[in-house]
Amino acid sequence: MNVLEVNAVTGGYTRKPVIHELSFSIAPGELVGLIGLNGAGKSTTIKHIIGLMNPKNGDIRLNNVTFEENMDKYRSAFSYIPETPVLYDELTLKEHLELTAMAYGLDQETLAARSEVLLKEFRMEKRLNWFPSHFSKGMRQKVMIMCAFLVNPSLYIIDEPFVGLDPLGIQSLLDQMNEKKKTGASVLMSTHILSTAERYCDRILLLHNGRIRAQGTMNDLRTAFNMPHATLDDLYIAMTKEQEDE
Amino acid sequence: MNSLQDVWRIRFVYYVNELQKYLKYVFTGHLAFVFVFVIGAGGYQYSEWLKTAPSDFPATWLMAGILGILLAYSPSTTLIREPDQVYLLPLESSLMGYMKRALNWTFWSQIFIVILPFIISIPLLSQVGNVEPEILGAVFVSMFLLKYWNVKVEFTFRWANVGQGVWGDRAIRAIISILFLVAVFAMVPIYFALLLVPIIFYYSVWAKQLKGQPFPYEHFVKLEQNRMLRFYRFANYFTDVPHISGSIKRRAWLDWIYRITPYGRTSSQEFLVLRTFIRTDDTFYLWLRLTGIATIGAIFIGIPVVVMIFVGAMAFASALQLKQALSSSNEFRMDMLFPIGEKARGLAVNKVVRIVQVVQAVIVLFAILLTGSGDVLLYVAPVVALVISEMTLRMSN
Repeated sequence: MNVLEVNAVTGGYTRKPVIHELSFSIAPGELVGLIGLNGAGKSTTIKHIIGLMNPKNGDIRLNNVTFEENMDKYRSAFSYIPETPVLYDELTLKEHLELTAMAYGLDQETLAARSEVLLKEFRMEKRLNWFPSHFSKGMRQKVMIMCAFLVNPSLYIIDEPFVGLDPLGIQSLLDQMNEKKKTGASVLMSTHILSTAERYCDRILLLHNGRIRAQGTMNDLRTAFNMPHATLDDLYIAMTKEQEDE
Repeated sequence: MNSLQDVWRIRFVYYVNELQKYLKYVFTGHLAFVFVFVIGAGGYQYSEWLKTAPSDFPATWLMAGILGILLAYSPSTTLIREPDQVYLLPLESSLMGYMKRALNWTFWSQIFIVILPFIISIPLLSQVGNVEPEILGAVFVSMFLLKYWNVKVEFTFRWANVGQGVWGDRAIRAIISILFLVAVFAMVPIYFALLLVPIIFYYSVWAKQLKGQPFPYEHFVKLEQNRMLRFYRFANYFTDVPHISGSIKRRAWLDWIYRITPYGRTSSQEFLVLRTFIRTDDTFYLWLRLTGIATIGAIFIGIPVVVMIFVGAMAFASALQLKQALSSSNEFRMDMLFPIGEKARGLAVNKVVRIVQVVQAVIVLFAILLTGSGDVLLYVAPVVALVISEMTLRMSN
């Protein structure tokens, strides 16, 4: 059974749709990259999946339920790391972790055990009682990442994870993602850093003008574009050129 | 946009609209209610005091002092914005045309700060100070002239010194303005003539320094930004100003309160809302202010029915505004994704507001106890506050 099923989803902010007939799925343990230019519809796709926007057509199933069928089960199934960190200015780092743990029904022992590991991994142990106003962009990002990994959901939805993180932070995030993959969790990651996407993603969705232009492993994409030795950058540029020619 | 005059016109319209947008909330908010009470009570006390004021009360000196200090406070409203230091740079030679309009506006928008206290002081001046109507007229005219001079000098001084030492400049202008007003009250023409020397001299000292001195855009931009920020902060007490996020303080001495929320899924929103209330200056001080006003009313008003209305009105204002401040937000927050049901936020807000309103009623009760009043009806006021808070919570959405 797939963790995420997106079936023929059309949607957008106004009557004019931003994404058209989008269909894809993510299996357990898979890391899928969502790649596209600015305005291709990546963020809109993510907003539909996390339930902030309702599809005009089609449906989205997470662990086999839709948002309408069982909101709490749907929401428990994923955690989301937005592109720009969204923190509570009035909560300390420790309280962010506590709040997340409470909302997702973790007991206090689990909270203590998991947050100890995460705080060490992201080198934030000494900042437990700090408020977000004292954090750099990268530290804010780390708080979001720690909250997401604390929950241990079936699906991680990560929007542009590598912007603002230092190299050690990026490595910690990739390590965490790999570890979770081994236990069967899936990741949907949107990014512009194509070399990293190429290296770590099991499959790639190429989004262009709100439609999926191509999807599959790197080899699938090379075949589709008829470019046997191409990198993801080459394929990406080829895709945009192709569109210009149309 | 053809000229700097058009730039001024467009900015001015935008500025006035921005002020209007928020001022309407200010005048319909709880502060308006308090103002009415304060003006009523203050006016009554003032008229009573006038009847018994001692004849040697130094009314003219006092008013000359107050008006002189108010006159000296003349910060320039230029509506200069950050990009101007790049885009208006080639137009610097024609900047004076723009500034003339800016200073006109500065003059007219600030003149009421002096006129209003003057009008209020007329009964004092004529009854206690025995000032003749003709002299009052002369003071009225001099205030316009002095204000014009003050506005002009403050702007010139800021330009010449890039805003450094403006309080020293204000002190000098305050002294000159006070002496001039005293001379008008005393009607000694030779004093005017003597005072004209520093008035002209002081202005020309700074005006001469402007030659070759580039316009200090950064200073005036900062002045504008601070003024607007102060206005938005003020308006934020009454309504939600989008680009103002209230400042946050830990208030560690209140940390013990958080123990009332047990660890668990159902109390996660309560965990958040309680901290938001205590640590956000806007909400915390809103409650503190209204509780303070209610307490003062309960102590000093004395008439039980009026106390009930007053305390009830404060309870209504604080319950409603806290509920709105804590629940409304269109911005994305992570708790919008929490798997805890749609209603959790609203329930938590109601619970927290209910708790702080009980605390408010208890404080009012203590205040009444402190007055030692034997009037049983007075003790109904805290109950009224509780009932009104609860009704407000239930009936608002």
